[in-house]
Amino acid sequence: MNIFKKEPNIKFLNKRFYAFGLSLLIILTGLGVYLTKGFAVGIDFSGGTLLEVSFRDPMNVSKIRAILAGQGMTNAQITQVVRENKFFIKTVSVSGNNIKDDSIEDHEVIARKIKSALMTAEEKTSTQRELLDLNTNAEGEIELFLRSRAVAPEEAREASRLINQVKKNETGLIRSYDELAKAGVKQNTLKQIRETTYLGNFAVLKTEIVGPQVGKMLQEKVTWACIWALLSILVYIGFRFKAILYGLSGVLTLFHDVLVCLSFVLFFRIEMSLQVVAGLLTIVGFSINDTIVVFERLWENLRSMRKENLEVILDKTLNQTLSRTVITSLTVFLTVLSLFIFGGEAIRSFAFVMLVGVIAGSYSTIYQSCAWLKTWEKSLLRRKKS
Amino acid sequence: MEKSLNWRIPLVLIVIILAVIAFYPPAKKISLGLDLKGGMHLTLQVLTDEALAVQTDMQVDQLRSSLKENSIKYEKVIRKDYHTIEISGTLPENERDLRTAVLDKSFQDWTYYFSGPVLVMKLKENIERTLRDQAVLQALETVRNRVDELGVSEPTIQRERNDKILVELPGIDNPGRVKSLIKSTAMLEFRAVAAGPFATREEALKNYNGVLPDDLELLPTNPRRLQEGIYAMPKAAVVSGTDLRKSRRAQDDYGYPAVGFTLDSQGAKKIEKFSSANIGKLMAIVLDDRIESVATIEGTLGFESIIKGRFTYEEVDDMVLVLNSGALPAPMRYLEEQTIGPSLGADSIRKGILASVGGLVLVIGFMLVYYKAAGLNSVLALILNMVILMGGLAMIKATLTVPGIAGIILSIGMAVDANVLIFERIREELGLGKAPKSAIEAGFKKAFRVIADSNLTTIIAAVFLFSVGSGPIRGFAITLIIGIMASMFTAVFVSRVLFDLTYGRQKSIKKLSI
Repeated sequence: MNIFKKEPNIKFLNKRFYAFGLSLLIILTGLGVYLTKGFAVGIDFSGGTLLEVSFRDPMNVSKIRAILAGQGMTNAQITQVVRENKFFIKTVSVSGNNIKDDSIEDHEVIARKIKSALMTAEEKTSTQRELLDLNTNAEGEIELFLRSRAVAPEEAREASRLINQVKKNETGLIRSYDELAKAGVKQNTLKQIRETTYLGNFAVLKTEIVGPQVGKMLQEKVTWACIWALLSILVYIGFRFKAILYGLSGVLTLFHDVLVCLSFVLFFRIEMSLQVVAGLLTIVGFSINDTIVVFERLWENLRSMRKENLEVILDKTLNQTLSRTVITSLTVFLTVLSLFIFGGEAIRSFAFVMLVGVIAGSYSTIYQSCAWLKTWEKSLLRRKKS
Repeated sequence: MEKSLNWRIPLVLIVIILAVIAFYPPAKKISLGLDLKGGMHLTLQVLTDEALAVQTDMQVDQLRSSLKENSIKYEKVIRKDYHTIEISGTLPENERDLRTAVLDKSFQDWTYYFSGPVLVMKLKENIERTLRDQAVLQALETVRNRVDELGVSEPTIQRERNDKILVELPGIDNPGRVKSLIKSTAMLEFRAVAAGPFATREEALKNYNGVLPDDLELLPTNPRRLQEGIYAMPKAAVVSGTDLRKSRRAQDDYGYPAVGFTLDSQGAKKIEKFSSANIGKLMAIVLDDRIESVATIEGTLGFESIIKGRFTYEEVDDMVLVLNSGALPAPMRYLEEQTIGPSLGADSIRKGILASVGGLVLVIGFMLVYYKAAGLNSVLALILNMVILMGGLAMIKATLTVPGIAGIILSIGMAVDANVLIFERIREELGLGKAPKSAIEAGFKKAFRVIADSNLTTIIAAVFLFSVGSGPIRGFAITLIIGIMASMFTAVFVSRVLFDLTYGRQKSIKKLSI
């Protein structure tokens, strides 16, 4: 099977100004969003508290917001996990706007406050009656509690282990004590557990607390890593093709890809996080591949087609390598698509950046790297002659 | 059949066997990261400034006595900041003595200069670095002891960049307790009590007419043990944590849990001397600047003692643990904390498997449809690539994380790229009218440089990613690097072997399925 029956003959370069226009439009849109709204910053960079909470009974964002507002926590950001009864609750700053004044202990307090705010009145009275919530407490806490309620140590150990096993389901919740019986908790132990515990309405699946100092250090490190990665690639390609202009156009292409990705990140309000950075750097490493394939062929063609002008050679090169550019990107696109669809919330923003980046990388190979070379035609050819 | 296959096939088989041995059985050989199995991740920072301040304080004491010994008059010796001491009010005629008998003799770790009439001493930079380094190493050791005592299985405790300590505790089941255990500085002191208890700080100050004497400080009680209140006590401790030999579980006179400890001979001497001279007065046991216990000295104290109070058994155990693991040289603060419950990890594994299978099916499907028999070749190479990737991860003892899984999935798509480049080149050579055999030959040869170049750039980017990322992101970078290197072997070398195996026997190949 072939995408193209024979080698295509598309005049790419005479449409390059449209392409420049399109890229510029995307990047300017991104810049516009950046200037008006800025990045949606994840706690990796801003510092703050992030809880992932799973509820037993149907819950929604506005309900949670109302509950938290009732406790004076109006600045929490709440998002629902797609198609699930799970929510991310994020608070960035404790002391108003100035995050530098916060200590991580403040954030711990916030995390605790959120948890206690989410408890229903019924749960609160249960807690007051010194019953333990099996859903919010961890294995070791449950074990200690059961021992303090006169369950034999080995039994408490075993029961808390089984309880933990039951919690490994998708919701992270125990819905009824029958589930514990099914998991193999002994009858008389279960009776004791029933008497001394209750099953709360929610479970905290994840708690992330990032101190304010971390984000700043990370921003610096990330910026430098990106700069060094781009520089290394510039030097490598420049060295490899014996002309710094190749390296330069390759790096400009990468810049373009990164800017396009960032524009999409901005436009779709994806949170800036280490994951997004991972996606960007992977794109930097991957999207140059197509460009190298094209440059390699261009290098060959410049020798075999000396008489032709550069635009013809470039078009010929792009046509020759077109199926390669498309297919290598397609295979990666397919895997990233699978990651985006099935991989879950934990990895979605990475997958998003990769999806955009792979397409942008393919397109920019044609309309950035080669177009730049065309723009620098004179100096490139002069170099060739001498 | 080509002769070189005689060594190429065994080489491929050996690599497969080594890789399989490395990661089989996967459940044992591939360890899961915290984001997959649940657990707790902490980043702590050792506040080394504070450790330096303690050192400098000691030097100030020494300096004062050294000045006295040499009968050099001075007005004040103060610690300016964590690494600066200022001496004021010395006389010009004493300057030579000051330099030769004091500073050059006993304070060689310090540089000094006069700033007007004030002598400023600064800790030498290399000494400061060493001291900071020691503080972090000592803190690391202490944290390690404490975690070991907790009995967490397979903890990771490592130093990360200068003053940071990374603690990873898989499957940790009581986050709050662990955190306070690790962070407790565990500075245990026996202090004399000057006055108290007072209900509030203000009241305590009133006792001194609003100005607290220089050598006293006010400390609060730990409300879990004692009635809430404030005591005034001398800054200098009678006995400090360094004089402690061993701490253990004990019981008070009524059989309630208490913390018992034994002092070493030096500590015992100090407390004996102090207690015999102060019978009838109050004495306090202070832990991390909070008063744990106050008692009247009824007789001469020996080297055995207990702290009693409203302890639970768990609290006793925890306190014994931190006392025995040694005091931290400097306080620590948390920079980051992540606690992942058991269900999230299990969910991530399920989703990771689904996404991997999805990616594999899509890519394999595409390669088979698009390249037919040659596609099968690349699929075999791809599967081998996965085997080597897993083997490689197991060999370097990498942990599998959520981003790591993403790296594996991405490797699926990237690994076949080398095959695509080769196959496209072969097709092109065929299109130019070359015979299948030489087309294969030329295809592999010409595509090689491009493959090497493009893989190298991807590795460059991954290396930089590794340098910025923390645990999970590093997992991604490593997976990507191994996956790409493995694809150089599988797509270029193994694929070629497969081609040669299929077509090598035939004298002339009529048609290539590609």
